[in-house]
Amino acid sequence: MKLDPQRYAELFRTESREQLSAINRALLLLEEGGDPSEPVSVVFRAVHTIKGMSATMGYHAVAEFSHELESVLDRVRRGDQTLAPDLMDALFASADALETAVDDASEQAAQTPAMIAALQRLRDVAGGSATSEFPAMQMPEGGVFDESPAPRRAGHEPRTTLELVAAADEVTRPGARPTRHVRVDLGRLDALMNLIGELVITRGRLLQLTATSPDPALDEAMQMAARLVSDLQAEIMTMRMVPVWQVFDRFPRLVRDAARQQGKDVHFVVEGKEIELDRSLLDEIGEPIVHLLRNSIGHGIETPEVREAAGKPREGRLVLSAARDRAAVLIRVSDDGRGIDRDRVLERAHRLGLVDESVKELDDAALFKVIATPGFSTVETVSDLSGRGVGIDAVQAKARALGGSVELITMRGEGTTITVRLPVTLAIVRALLARSGVERYALPLTHVRETLEYDRDVVQFVKGKPVLVLRDEVLPLLDLRDVVRQRPADDTPGAHREIVVIERGARRSGLVVDELIGQQDIVVKQFDAARDALALFSGATILSDGAPALIMDVGSLFEGS
Amino acid sequence: MAPTVLICDDAIFMRTMVSDILQQAGFEVVGEAETGAQAVERYKQLRPDLVTMDIVMPDMGGIDAVREITKFDPDAKVLMCSAMGQQALVVEAIQAGAKDFVVKPFQPSRVLEAVQRVLG
Repeated sequence: MKLDPQRYAELFRTESREQLSAINRALLLLEEGGDPSEPVSVVFRAVHTIKGMSATMGYHAVAEFSHELESVLDRVRRGDQTLAPDLMDALFASADALETAVDDASEQAAQTPAMIAALQRLRDVAGGSATSEFPAMQMPEGGVFDESPAPRRAGHEPRTTLELVAAADEVTRPGARPTRHVRVDLGRLDALMNLIGELVITRGRLLQLTATSPDPALDEAMQMAARLVSDLQAEIMTMRMVPVWQVFDRFPRLVRDAARQQGKDVHFVVEGKEIELDRSLLDEIGEPIVHLLRNSIGHGIETPEVREAAGKPREGRLVLSAARDRAAVLIRVSDDGRGIDRDRVLERAHRLGLVDESVKELDDAALFKVIATPGFSTVETVSDLSGRGVGIDAVQAKARALGGSVELITMRGEGTTITVRLPVTLAIVRALLARSGVERYALPLTHVRETLEYDRDVVQFVKGKPVLVLRDEVLPLLDLRDVVRQRPADDTPGAHREIVVIERGARRSGLVVDELIGQQDIVVKQFDAARDALALFSGATILSDGAPALIMDVGSLFEGS
Repeated sequence: MAPTVLICDDAIFMRTMVSDILQQAGFEVVGEAETGAQAVERYKQLRPDLVTMDIVMPDMGGIDAVREITKFDPDAKVLMCSAMGQQALVVEAIQAGAKDFVVKPFQPSRVLEAVQRVLG
C-alpha cells in the first residue's frame, strides 16, 4: 500500500482552508442572530472534518485543538451551552488560531500561543472538555503513511452470473455515472496557458503564410486548425476562470474585525459574487481589495456618534461589488462615509510640492493622482489598520501591473467609491492593433470604447488644441505620434487617419492613429525592465507575422492630460 | 470483474484516501457522495458491491443514509467510517444495517481487513 504524503498534505491544506471559510461564514451568521441550529451544525461538521484530516496526517497540535473545539460545539449543538457573546468571541479567536495552525501544520508542530490562548478562553466561558462526557482524543499509534504490509487482492467474486449482469447493466447505463472531478495543480494550468499562447501566435503566422496559397485544400485545413485552436483557447481560459467569491468570502470576517477594532458600525454588502475572473488575477487582486476595505473602515466611515450628529444612520454602509463590463471586470469598493477632504489633500500636496501653488481645486482625477503618490497620506497618526495610507499607491501599482486601472469618486460627507478595472484574463487579451509611422502598437480592448475615422467634422480646435466632438460631447484628443514621440504626421489633405476612443472610468479621450489594422488575440509578455521609463506600456507581444509590438497601458494616457 | 465501491464522505481528503486504498487493492470506485442524501441516490443508481459511509455529513447523516439504503436493498454492504470517540454512534449504525466499521484516522490494513469481513 502506498499513499503519497505530499499529495495528502496539499489536500489537507486546501480542504482545511475551505472548511475554515465555511466556519467564518457560519460564525458571522450566528452573530447576526436568527436560528442558530444550522450554522452551529456547519461549524461542528467543519471542525470535525479538520480534526479527522489532521489526525490522519499526524498533525497532533491541530487534531487536539480541533477536538476540544468540537467538544464545545457539540455541547452548543445539544443545547447544553448557550451562545453568549463571550463564547462567540472565543469561537472567532479559535477559528483564527486554527487558520494559522493549519497553514503551518506539521507532525512536529506544537500548539501555537494563539491556540493555547483560544483554548483558555473556550474553557473559561464553556468549561473544559474534561468535564463533559465527550470522549478523549486518541491518535493512532503507527503513522498512516509508513505502513507497509503486502497489498492484498480483495477476494470478492460476484456470487451469481445474474448479479454480475445486473450490476454491469446498472453501471454502464449512460448517464448513470455522476460527474467526476480532477484536482489539478495551478502550475499545470499556467503551463497549458503558455503553450496555448504560443500556439495562438503560431496560428497567426500560419494563417498569414497560407493566405497566399493557391491550394484550396490547404486553406480549408488551415481554417479548420485555426478554429480548433480558438476552441481550445476558449476551453482553457474557461477552465482558469473562478468566481470572485473564492476570494471575497473571507472579507466579511475581515470587515467585522476591523470595524470592531475601530468602534465603527458597518453593514457590509457583497454584490456580484458569481462574476468570474482568471485565477491568477483573482489571487493578485485580493490584497489591494483588503487595502481598500480597510481604508473605507479606517478613514471613510465615521464612528456611530459622528454619523448620528451628521444626520446619517449610525450604521455605515460598505459595498464590495464585481461586475462585467464588456472585456473588463469592474471591482468596486464604495462607502457612505465622510469622503476625502479635498482641502486637506490640496494643502498637503502644496506643502509636498506635488501640485502647483496656482491650483486651487482638485477634481476627482487630480485628487486620485495626488493620493496615489507613493508615501502620500493625510492621516498623520499611524493606525494599525490601514498603516500610513500606503494603500492607494499599492492598489494603483497592482492594477496597472495587471493591465487595469483605478478610478476614484468622492463626495464630501457622502462617501467614496473606488473602482478597479481589470481585464478578464491576463495571458491572452483581445487588442486593437494600431499603426503609427512604421511601428505597430496593441491597445487592449479593456479600455477601448469605439473607433471612428478622422474627419474635419468631428475634430475641432479649442484654444488651438484639437478636440473630438462626439455626439455632443467634447473629448480631449491625443495623437499617438506625440505620445510615443514620433515625428508628426504629414498633414497633407487626403492623409487618412483614424481615431480610437479610449476610456478609463468616466473619462474618455480620443487617440489619433495612422491606421487601424484590426483586432487580434495577443499573448501578453510582461517585461520587468525600467518600469518608470516605460510607464506607457504594460507589456509586449509577438504579432502574427513574428514581429514584436508594445502593448499600450491605455490607463496611463489619462495621467498626463 | 473488479468489485465496485461507492465512497461517501463530505471531505475530499477522506474520499481520496479511501479511494486510494481500495483502488490499490483492486476495487473499482464507481461513485462518490458528499451528503447522506446523495449517498442514497447514488446507491440506487449504481448498486455498488460495497459502500463506505462517513457518519457526520450534511443533508442527512451517515446513519440515516444506511437506514434508507438497507430499506431499499437489505443485502447492501455498508462499511461505516467513524471518527475516534463515536462508539455510541457506531452501535446505532450497525443497528441501522451497517455491516462493520473502521475508525479514522485510517490504517490502510485495517480498512482492507474490514472490507474483507463485510464482503465475506
